[in-house]
Amino acid sequence: MTPPDAVAIEPLVPDRATAVGPSRPRPPARGPLATSRKYYKIFRVSLVERMTYRGDFLLGTLLRFLPMVTTILLWRAVYIGSGSTDLAGFRYREMVAYLLLTHISRMFSSMPNLASGIARDIREGTLKRYLIQPIDMIGYLLSYRVAHKAAYIATSIIPYGLLFFACRSFFDGLPGPATLAAYAASLVLSFLVGFFFEASVGMVGFWFLEVTSLLYIVMTLNYFISGQMLPLDLLPTPWSGLLKALPFQYLAYFPAVVFLGKVRGTDLVHGLLGALFWAVFFLLLARGLYRVGLRRYSAYGG
Amino acid sequence: MAMIEAEGLTKTYHVFQKKEGLLGALRGLYRREFKEIKAVDHVSFSIDAGEMVAFLGPNGAGKTTTLKMLSGLIYPTAGSARVLGFTPWRRDDAFRRRFALVMGQKNQLWWDLPAADSFQLHREIYSLPAADFQKTLDELTELLGVERLTRQAVRELSLGERMKMELIAALLHNPRLLLLDEPTIGLDVVAQVAIQKCLRDYHARRGVTMLLTSHYMRDVEALCSRVLVITQGKLVYDGPLSGIVERFGQSKVIRLEFAEGQVPDDLGRFGEVVRRNGPSADLKVGRARVAEALGAILDRHAVADVVVQDPPLEQMIARVFEEGRASHDAA
Amino acid sequence: MSRLARYFRLLGSLARYTLGREMAFRSNFLVRVSVEVLWLGILIAFYRTVFARTRSIAGWPEEHYFFFVGCFFALNGLIETFFLDNCNEFAELVRTGDLDFLLLKPIDEQFLISFRRIDFGTAPNVLMGAVLMAVALVRMGWHFDPVRVGVFLVTFACGTAIAYSFMLLLTSLSVWMVRNQSLMEMWWLFSSLARYPREVFQGVAWAEPLGRLFTFVLPILLVVNVPAGAMVRVLDPGMVAFTLAATAALLWASRRFFQRALRSYRSASS
Repeated sequence: MTPPDAVAIEPLVPDRATAVGPSRPRPPARGPLATSRKYYKIFRVSLVERMTYRGDFLLGTLLRFLPMVTTILLWRAVYIGSGSTDLAGFRYREMVAYLLLTHISRMFSSMPNLASGIARDIREGTLKRYLIQPIDMIGYLLSYRVAHKAAYIATSIIPYGLLFFACRSFFDGLPGPATLAAYAASLVLSFLVGFFFEASVGMVGFWFLEVTSLLYIVMTLNYFISGQMLPLDLLPTPWSGLLKALPFQYLAYFPAVVFLGKVRGTDLVHGLLGALFWAVFFLLLARGLYRVGLRRYSAYGG
Repeated sequence: MAMIEAEGLTKTYHVFQKKEGLLGALRGLYRREFKEIKAVDHVSFSIDAGEMVAFLGPNGAGKTTTLKMLSGLIYPTAGSARVLGFTPWRRDDAFRRRFALVMGQKNQLWWDLPAADSFQLHREIYSLPAADFQKTLDELTELLGVERLTRQAVRELSLGERMKMELIAALLHNPRLLLLDEPTIGLDVVAQVAIQKCLRDYHARRGVTMLLTSHYMRDVEALCSRVLVITQGKLVYDGPLSGIVERFGQSKVIRLEFAEGQVPDDLGRFGEVVRRNGPSADLKVGRARVAEALGAILDRHAVADVVVQDPPLEQMIARVFEEGRASHDAA
Repeated sequence: MSRLARYFRLLGSLARYTLGREMAFRSNFLVRVSVEVLWLGILIAFYRTVFARTRSIAGWPEEHYFFFVGCFFALNGLIETFFLDNCNEFAELVRTGDLDFLLLKPIDEQFLISFRRIDFGTAPNVLMGAVLMAVALVRMGWHFDPVRVGVFLVTFACGTAIAYSFMLLLTSLSVWMVRNQSLMEMWWLFSSLARYPREVFQGVAWAEPLGRLFTFVLPILLVVNVPAGAMVRVLDPGMVAFTLAATAALLWASRRFFQRALRSYRSASS
């Protein structure tokens, strides 16, 4: 069974609000105040919804612990079996901390329904509304996603807070302010890389109708190559270098190793610049694909 | 022989009172308030084999809930029922083989497959002998005039055609009791009449017992001689359709056409003017005063044409509902 | 007996119809199969990486461990083919009230709900898992032993039944908790317990009670461990007997719970 992350489940209301269709709510009124009020509303509604289904919420929180329990035990067994305290520069506690931290990375970088939503907009012709209204599609989706993420992260604080509290012994306290700042930057960048990457995948829908299949394959692969299963350093030489050259490492691996202080000095700067590069690269790619695709789209009459 | 016997059937729902806003939701995490809603309240009636009975009532009156208890889909809070000699909510296979429920708002056929495939699956689920099955199927497709549509994917059919397929699916196992919940909802008049006709013909042929709920008085008038009226979960009327007219139709409508070419101004003195259109008007008058009012009008005005009718059944049913509500509120 | 035969026949028909549907969306089917192949590849890559650094995990050397992985993959494939989609859809059936039609049929409700649609997209997983198991057996130089094979097959069936029972328990909850988060996700979280050898729970003060809990009270740890253990490790008759008993108990309990849940079904209108 492929991990649910591959099909991108993030149970939240706001996506229902974006659900395409003629009755879709209009893009937000312009002006920062109107925008922020709208996003506050989205935020509140999803929080309220989460609280309403409390049985579900509690069971979900409880179950969320189980994979972490087994992961901790599995790696403990691996370290005992190996007879050494250090695997590719990771001690046991660091390994567990790393795997916990990839959850945080994915909280920022996963984009449920983004690419498939764009593809659906293209397929069903609902894309037109972006052409009619004075609003930029990617900009709208981005601001919408920011609000969505903020709500999701806020509502996940309870379960994840509990998880990290229970696992606090795997951490050596908080890192210094400089590392924390770099960590925050890496999370923001992981969000941006994730967003523009998926937006680019969605834009492929202009040429290739079945984007969902493509996405499904990419996301399954991503589970491994972004370092959610193990730190990329553990892989044999050609692979670890190759995967670190790809943008996917910024979706999970990079922020986690930044937090653990494994990347410092110039490496850290290079890493952050690399993330920035990929974010800009996919931003330009998404924009380019959008522009070219749109021309094709209007040529066909949509 | 009684096909359905319901005795004090009651269904109460606990509805979680969702609180407004964020604080309310947070509070709801540890303490919740529930409201009790009596969807069906001590309903008793009995239906004999071969009867065609209509269940009337406004939305949310408890018709569908009652129907669902009689089909064994939901458990009653109190009361008992015997349907075909079984307790429905035990859901014995023998019971479920002998009745069918058709819901106009839902479809049970496989969307992507031709109806014929769903029918085949139906045959296997009900373990119907192949020969009997084919005979019934031929008979039904002919009755409904859909012989050529059964090989088409269900999603490609019109709503009316789909409803016919649903009906066929429900009748394939020759049920002795047919429960219908809004069988004509959303259909155009032509399709409505077609469904009505088919139900009537089927009833004439098989003598099947039918209990149906409907919004459309036309369905009821076309099919049923006996009606049960339910409002606010309580049974308020059980009797012939004509009885509603006698009991609740306390007024009549006089349709007048004046030779003068316009409706006289003093018409309101004789009754309530409910419609006015060029030279014609409808006047609502109490039953007992019809002759008197008509005489007075004919005395004073030149009338080209006159018809006396009962008010539309819908209006009367609406009155039944209102009375039910009023007595409920008073209680 | 004729009743059993009837249900088997019905299962065949349901399989036929779902296959017909599946073939209407062939490309979708191919994508799903390739994703599953990819996923197995990822699992193999993961464990190859791990075993490059260690000789064994919780007493399971590499070949044994790969047998375990193959066993998990095949068993989970079986669960997904028959039950996961159906159980996942159950919440939706409850929410929309479409469950009505399934309850009206003169057939066991649990049977119809559990086997309604067969998901052929994951059926090849059973084969893929079997191949992985076979390769592992060859590489470890396993000697054919009919007793072990017999016990393996029986406990494999038990494991499937236990996993199904747990899934049915989780599914039944959706009658009360409308809009449960997708069962798919819950199942992924819960079944993570069955994904690793239960020996990993040993030797850790806080984990040992958990290991016992999930072996003897909520015996999800029996699911893959017992068949895989019976095949490539020590054949423990006590454990096999316990697995048989646990299977019977869980099938019974989950069925009771499911029926209790149906009593609370409200049948939403429209």
